[in-house]
Amino acid sequence: MIWIGDTLLSPGEAGVYGERVMAGHRVWDPYRSKLAALYHLGKGIELSASMRVLYLGAAHGTTVSHVSDYVEVVYAVEVAPRPVQDLLEVAERRRNVIPILADAGHPEEYAPLVEEVDLIFQDVASPAQADIAIRNRDFLSPGGHLLLVVKTRAIDTAADPTEVEERVREELGARYTILDSTWLLPYHRDHVAFTCKR
Amino acid sequence: MRSYWFGDVDEQGCTRAGGEVATLVHRLRSLTAPDGKIIPPDWKLAMECGAVTDRPDYLGKLRTISLLLAREKVAATLGGKEAELIQMVILLDGMDQAANQLGERLADWYRVLHPLEGWKYRPRDSRKVLGRIREDSEGPMRETLEGILGLRETRTRLAREIGDCAAGILPNSSALIGGLVAARLMTLAGGLSPLARLPASSIQVLGARGALFSHLTRGTPPPKHGIIYQHMRVHNAPGHARGRVARVLAGRLAIAARIDFYRGMLDAEFIAQADGMIESVGRRG
Repeated sequence: MIWIGDTLLSPGEAGVYGERVMAGHRVWDPYRSKLAALYHLGKGIELSASMRVLYLGAAHGTTVSHVSDYVEVVYAVEVAPRPVQDLLEVAERRRNVIPILADAGHPEEYAPLVEEVDLIFQDVASPAQADIAIRNRDFLSPGGHLLLVVKTRAIDTAADPTEVEERVREELGARYTILDSTWLLPYHRDHVAFTCKR
Repeated sequence: MRSYWFGDVDEQGCTRAGGEVATLVHRLRSLTAPDGKIIPPDWKLAMECGAVTDRPDYLGKLRTISLLLAREKVAATLGGKEAELIQMVILLDGMDQAANQLGERLADWYRVLHPLEGWKYRPRDSRKVLGRIREDSEGPMRETLEGILGLRETRTRLAREIGDCAAGILPNSSALIGGLVAARLMTLAGGLSPLARLPASSIQVLGARGALFSHLTRGTPPPKHGIIYQHMRVHNAPGHARGRVARVLAGRLAIAARIDFYRGMLDAEFIAQADGMIESVGRRG
């Protein structure tokens, strides 16, 4: 992946959402994108040109656009129609983004569209975040990776985030091999990212 | 057999889904993984059955179809008469709030100009103060007042239009409780389909969220009615009968909403029967 000094970049046509441009590349801001934050912390799975990615919780498609700069194809799943309006605009300008309006908690709805992928990135606000990751496991190729960003506050607003992390770790550990977990501080508060292997 | 966007796959091999893009999109609408089991397709299957020629073609066709399908779904939820009615109701509430708030601010300003007059023991709430402003003010104060009055007029016209619009989308609910309140119920439920799925007991307390949850958590008395109180049938009923009227009305509304959603036409017989029932329950001592 492309770095200039401490700045993470992605190759591609600039001006998707008003991101800064440096040396002809798009700046990928860790304060806006949880995936970029993970890379800034030296963790995560490197993106490469042959990769197929399933992106759960695509929202407006800003992070999706950066991922699509690096990989072969991104299957972008988002449940809320309002942000999908913006996601569609991103998808129209990129040949390798497949937009899907569906609930990541019901993967059978989009199973006819999505092939086997090398990486699942999940960033959804739901109390059932671990369960969603498990339900989507069958899309992963053997040896494929899951990057799961857990919004601990979406699972339990009142509980201590580290306690929520423990709960997720336990649930996730039953179906995935957990390689690493990292808090996304200082970029995002109360967010913890799990790197897992199928 | 497993169905994918490009065709059906079984032991014998792959059968291509034929037709134009529109047909493929139509086919996808009802397609899910049977038994909830997920077996992602190998893209080469699509090549085998002749749906695509190579990898770029696979992604290109898949992208076209996904874009169309997503666009269609967005248009269905965010477009259309129902979504428009919801936005109109939200705008109406915003207008009420704005007009009231501006009225209060303006009255406060006017009162400062007359510091020696007490207001508490005179019949001069802010609405009356606004009447006085109209008589003896000029410049920005007067203009603000005109603005507020204009906003109120627009509000009245908007409310009428909401009523007309609701009569088209919610004919039976509107006949029972009036277009505006019916539209409000639909807005609170989040659409006609969710409203048609609500039990009568929920419809009865739609809009009384605070009271309902304080009942559930702190044991205060349960709310008798939510937004349906706005209809004269409920608020004109004598105190002791109000809960009963609200309950019976909500029961009929639940049925009316279902007729609205599944049939979409006015059922005069049902309305007459429901009206009679609600009337008689209100009269009973």
